[in-house]
Amino acid sequence: MAILEVNNICKNFGKTEVLRGISFSLEKGQVMSIIGSSGSGKTTLLRCINFLERADGGSITVNGEKIFDAAVDTKLSEREIRMRRLHFGLVFQQFNLFPQYTVLQNVMLAPKLLHADSDENIKIEALELIDSVGLSDKLDNYPCEMSGGQQQRVAIARALALKPDILCFDEPTSALDPEITGEVLRVIKQLASRDTTMIIVTHEMGFAREVSDTVVFMDNGIIEEQGAPEDIFGNPQSERLRAFLNSTLRI
Amino acid sequence: MYSLWEVTKTLWGGFETTLLLFALTLLFALPLGLILSFGSMSKFKPLSYLVKVFVWIVRGTPLMLQIMIVFYVPGLVFGNPIFSGRRFLAALITFVINYSCYFSEIYRGGIESIPRGQYEAGQMLGMTRSQIFFKVVLLQVIKRIVPPMSNEIITLVKDTSLVRVITVIEIIKVAEKFAAKGLIWPLFYTGVFYLVFCGLLTLLFGYFEKKMSYFRS
Repeated sequence: MAILEVNNICKNFGKTEVLRGISFSLEKGQVMSIIGSSGSGKTTLLRCINFLERADGGSITVNGEKIFDAAVDTKLSEREIRMRRLHFGLVFQQFNLFPQYTVLQNVMLAPKLLHADSDENIKIEALELIDSVGLSDKLDNYPCEMSGGQQQRVAIARALALKPDILCFDEPTSALDPEITGEVLRVIKQLASRDTTMIIVTHEMGFAREVSDTVVFMDNGIIEEQGAPEDIFGNPQSERLRAFLNSTLRI
Repeated sequence: MYSLWEVTKTLWGGFETTLLLFALTLLFALPLGLILSFGSMSKFKPLSYLVKVFVWIVRGTPLMLQIMIVFYVPGLVFGNPIFSGRRFLAALITFVINYSCYFSEIYRGGIESIPRGQYEAGQMLGMTRSQIFFKVVLLQVIKRIVPPMSNEIITLVKDTSLVRVITVIEIIKVAEKFAAKGLIWPLFYTGVFYLVFCGLLTLLFGYFEKKMSYFRS
């Protein structure tokens, strides 16, 4: 059974149709990359799945449980949204670490507020997560004392602290200098090798090809093409995808 | 003639009133300003417009006029002089209203300057709205508003001198009594009291800023 099923998601901003019926499913432990040019709706799709935007149509099912149905859930309470959102973790383009907290505090804050476990266990797990992103020597540092790459790795550890079913990335390396994107991509690859279910919106084509089980190409609010990375990058079918790949490769 | 010591002692009596008005105004206006800022940022439009019009009126008219209105209007217009014999209370109420409005705009500026990503990060981590406000946003807001707040608070110290229009006996009113007897220098001497007190406040705000310099937002 698929861990995530997204069915016919639609989203308008005013008169602009940003998402025009997006459907896909994702198996547990798989990595899906979403590629496409700016304005194609990638980020909006991710935000709808994460309840940061409310989709105007469609439904979302996690582990067989329908957690969102636009036809039914017209007025979800803040609390319901909050509980359903916990299926997902999100790593932002701009990291969005909490600046007044140290690395360790950033990772521990949410589990503590949710009383997910005893304080001691929360700390043990936080230390393990921070170690897994290679920042054990930065526990007591504040975000402003770290590079963008290090901040993004902390953000990944923070998102993992609540053990989401699906970890989402919204262009995780777009705000980073080219020479430090590698350290973040390595961490994501490591997560993939441990069968973390992930959805990655990215402009890093080489990375998407290497890490993904499925690649989705979005264009103008629809999924134009979808398939294994070798097919998407090696044998693109649609004209739009070929044009897109040509333009990214030429740069 | 009066000695410097005697004048200082007498003026200090008036300055105590100044300090009391200052402290009580802060005590009430700081929280009230926060509530007003929530009102002006409310998604419920009638409330937000109401607060904005109120802030416009209060910021758009002189504080001295407001003091006189609060003190005289209940008696002159409504025949119910609720503040007769309670001049200090009238002054305090006016100051609290006036400064709440100014503070509310500072709070609003601070709150609206926090990037949306901070709220969204909190939301994605399962936090409630109040957890996001108190655990994530508030300290960042405080850090950002310390400079404009200190500005406003230092202005408040000197604005207290306006209450003498309804004969609240603060330090300048006391000095004017000396002047009426032909002794002018105590009036100028009051400046030293303000100056020293504002100096202390400046040091205090500098300390706060330093305290919060460990993070950048």
